[in-house]
Amino acid sequence: MLPDSKHEPLLKVVNLTKTYLEGESERHVLRGVQFEIYKGELIVMLGRSGSGKSTLLNLISGIDVASSGEVFFGNRNLTALSENERTLFRRESIGIIFQSFNLIPTLTVAENMLLPMELTGRLSTAQQARALEVLEEVGLKDRSDSYPDRLSGGEQQRVALARALAHEPLLILADEPTGNLDFKTAGQVMDILQRLVHDEKRTMLIATHDRDILNLADRIFSLQEGQLVEVTLDTAMGV
Amino acid sequence: MFLSVLGVALGVAVVVAIDLANTSATEAFRLSSEAVTGRATHHIVGSRELLDERVYLDLRLEAGIKDAAPVIDGFVSIPSNPGRMLQVLGIDPLAEGPFRSFTGGVGSGLDLGRFISSEQTGVLSALTAQNLNIEAGDSLKVRFEGQEQSITIISLLEAESEQSARVLDNLLIVDISTAQALFGMAGQLSRIELILSEESEQSAQIAALNEFLPVGAVLERSTTKSETMAQMTRAFSLNLVALSLLALVVGMFLIYNTMTFSVVQRRPTIGRLRALGVTQKEIFSLVMGEALLIGVLGTGIGLLAGIALGQGLVHLVTQSINDLYYVLRVRTWDLSYWSLAKGVGLGVGATLLAAIAPAREATSAPISTVLQRSTEESRVREGLPRLALASLGLAVTAILLLVLPGNSIAISYLALLLLILAFATATPSMVVGMARLARPLMSAVGGVVGRMAAQGTITALSRTSIAIASLMIAISATIGVGVMVNSFRSTVEVWLEYTLRADIYVSPPGLVFRRNDATLLPEIEAILRSQDGVVGAYSVRTASVKANNERADLVVVGPGPQRKEGTRLKEGDPDRVWDRFGAETTVLVSEPYSFRNDIHVGDTITMGTDQGEQAFLVGAVYYDYGSDLGAIMMSRNTYEMYFMDRGVSGISLYAAPGQDVDALIESIRGRLAGKQEVNMRSNRSLREASLDVFDRTFTVTIVLRLLAVFVAFIGVLSALMALQLERARELSVMRANGLTPRQVWKYVTMQTGLMGFMAGLMSIPLGLTLAYILIHVINKRSFGWTLQIDITPAILGQAVILAVLAALLAGIYPAWKMSRSNPANALRDE
Repeated sequence: MLPDSKHEPLLKVVNLTKTYLEGESERHVLRGVQFEIYKGELIVMLGRSGSGKSTLLNLISGIDVASSGEVFFGNRNLTALSENERTLFRRESIGIIFQSFNLIPTLTVAENMLLPMELTGRLSTAQQARALEVLEEVGLKDRSDSYPDRLSGGEQQRVALARALAHEPLLILADEPTGNLDFKTAGQVMDILQRLVHDEKRTMLIATHDRDILNLADRIFSLQEGQLVEVTLDTAMGV
Repeated sequence: MFLSVLGVALGVAVVVAIDLANTSATEAFRLSSEAVTGRATHHIVGSRELLDERVYLDLRLEAGIKDAAPVIDGFVSIPSNPGRMLQVLGIDPLAEGPFRSFTGGVGSGLDLGRFISSEQTGVLSALTAQNLNIEAGDSLKVRFEGQEQSITIISLLEAESEQSARVLDNLLIVDISTAQALFGMAGQLSRIELILSEESEQSAQIAALNEFLPVGAVLERSTTKSETMAQMTRAFSLNLVALSLLALVVGMFLIYNTMTFSVVQRRPTIGRLRALGVTQKEIFSLVMGEALLIGVLGTGIGLLAGIALGQGLVHLVTQSINDLYYVLRVRTWDLSYWSLAKGVGLGVGATLLAAIAPAREATSAPISTVLQRSTEESRVREGLPRLALASLGLAVTAILLLVLPGNSIAISYLALLLLILAFATATPSMVVGMARLARPLMSAVGGVVGRMAAQGTITALSRTSIAIASLMIAISATIGVGVMVNSFRSTVEVWLEYTLRADIYVSPPGLVFRRNDATLLPEIEAILRSQDGVVGAYSVRTASVKANNERADLVVVGPGPQRKEGTRLKEGDPDRVWDRFGAETTVLVSEPYSFRNDIHVGDTITMGTDQGEQAFLVGAVYYDYGSDLGAIMMSRNTYEMYFMDRGVSGISLYAAPGQDVDALIESIRGRLAGKQEVNMRSNRSLREASLDVFDRTFTVTIVLRLLAVFVAFIGVLSALMALQLERARELSVMRANGLTPRQVWKYVTMQTGLMGFMAGLMSIPLGLTLAYILIHVINKRSFGWTLQIDITPAILGQAVILAVLAALLAGIYPAWKMSRSNPANALRDE
């Protein structure tokens, strides 16, 4: 399903490059990446291990800084912001799902979910209620007081999903969300993702090499040799 | 790695430094004692360490003993070099031959006739003369008991070997008659030295000598004096060693923590190695090998630092010995191989011991869980009841050791160590409890960051509890020693208040602050007693006597109300004892004397007097904090009945009502001018001087305390570094979820502050327990003093503040590092 409007991109990435210094030599991970994401789209980004998928997600979220190029959220140039401003923007506007769940072991399930909102210092009752709804949607309402080390891998990833969604960010970035899960659990997680994203029209960029996710995608990109190329579903399946 | 090396180095440095300081002091004493003892096997002394010189003549002429040499020894100060003392050895060069090799040179290298016949001549070693800027033929001004005299140095001795150079250093050799004039000992000797034949024939010789010796003269083995001196400082030295070991215990926690961190950090590597077929034994060897490297490096640095630190401490230790026990000058400080070997053994041994648990941890986990940090934390949390039980067991054992009959200081310290371990093993449970209590508060103050900071102390319990335990131990040592010193000081203050009742105290300058046995010239005494504005003058005499076959200080007090007013009795009937004290052969003993010799009211003390051995009844035990060696108090009447001595060592003066004490002092000073230099102190200044000496004595303790806190600080820094580095990924995730760099600071600071606060709180009960043991067990067993515990809220508050500050300070670097790090790096290292 296409988004309502394609005229106003939610995210615009312009000529983004990232170069790492490895000893004396330079490794160009991203070479002039350009693309746009529109509100409500689910974009899947394919690529082999080490192709730069995570790097691109880190640059989009402002976790890392690009060597050159720009990232726009609406009219806001993320690359022009300071570290602190990027962090504040991220916690308001972006939800992140990691391959290895990355829940905070010192916080309960509920606290992990509420973390981005709590960090703002303005956690409202409505937000709390919404977070509990999301937790219910991922089927873990009864585990809200448990600590992460008491949960299975699938449960942990569902909490991570809920955390990324609970504060209703503009964009959800998912880095190999099923990469650490077995086939069955991955399927469950994908079902939740599909329901939450498509039913609630969330905007999402998923980096993966799990071809089962491709069926959910509105558009598919492939990251090859530092450049992002849009591909069709058939091509992607054959890649 | 750097921090653990530093931790080992600091621990070793403190132990080695204290050991070197103690060894140097002992060695200096041995050398100075060897200088005057030589090859003598026995000596004859008098009742007050004075012997009539006729005994020597009789011994040579009548008893026909050839291997006998008269000796006078003592110390003089040098007015041109304030603080410098010279050891004086008065000899008869003609009798010296078999006794001292170096004094043989006196006979061979100089004008013997002049040395013997001229008054006031002496010889010095060339090295000492050079240090004093003196040449042969020069006159050296020396001062004894406030009287200045000149000695003409007629020759300089060249030492034949390094050993004799050390023995000769700081030694002024004079003829007997010069020494007698110098020390005001006309017709008297310090002792007669003897070389008795083989052991098998000695008993017959000793019996014959005892038969021959006049009343008051006693035959002793030459080693007795050294043994007595060593005994004097035994408790003092042992307590210093124990304090230095405390730094090593804290250091061991640090090593354990660092080694565990090093294992945790490389968990994935260890897991991979195990998966690739590396055996558990090989992993164990790997970790232990690394510990060995840290141990060797740290010990090497620690030895060098210890040697440097020892040079500073030897000065403090010597100062205390000089203030409290006897004159000692440490000329060279001794780099004993044994001290260094102990340092190596302790440093490497402690490191390996501390590394065993982490090494086992690395090897014992199954491969699948080696990669999971949470497994270890779960294990620690599951093991909490067992740890609590172990803590209880340790505490009970410690208490049993403390209540065991006996006076062993070593066992007291062992009990102290077990109690420290008991508290350390209870730390994880206490941390969990306190963190749970703190969580709501931290949440209210810092929101989710505060809550995470509190919960984090539980989540990484294996790390946090070690850091908190090491800080707690160091801080509790500060409280324990602080309360002990405070209690001691306030007890001494009260005692001084009670004891020092006169307005002015006059005495000749003595060599040892706490033990003034110098003699006031009789004319001075007369001047003082007749001084206008003085309504009461009471004398005191201090002498060294032999009581129950041990050397003891005798304090002889003149008649007057000051006896009763200034003495608080611990045992004995205050209504009756003072009448008997003045009239009969009743003496009083100080609390330390009573403790050291197990003498109580009703017991008798057999004392060697000028009238022969005499039994004295102990009428009371009195509180006295002036000397840990103890003293016997005797009335002047009784003393004059049994001893020929009529001298006084000091006089206390009571000013007339309304008399300006300072004006009185000035007036007396004017009248005494040019006669004998005396120390004249007002009540207040004597009190201050006494407390100054007290404070000086505890300087070493304060230095050691600070070092222990510093070692603990390094421990906390290392633990926090470990924690924060381990959490790099967690913090990165939080950063990814919107945690700002400022919030990272807040998180780390709140957590470290909480850890410091926990350590501070827990250090209070442990510190007070340590103080109780130090005061009521170790002090009692070491010195026998009754001290009133004086706990000021300030000292407890300071301890908590110190703990929080140390922790916060230790958190600065990790917080800075974490707030600046790029979260992408940690997230990439998946």
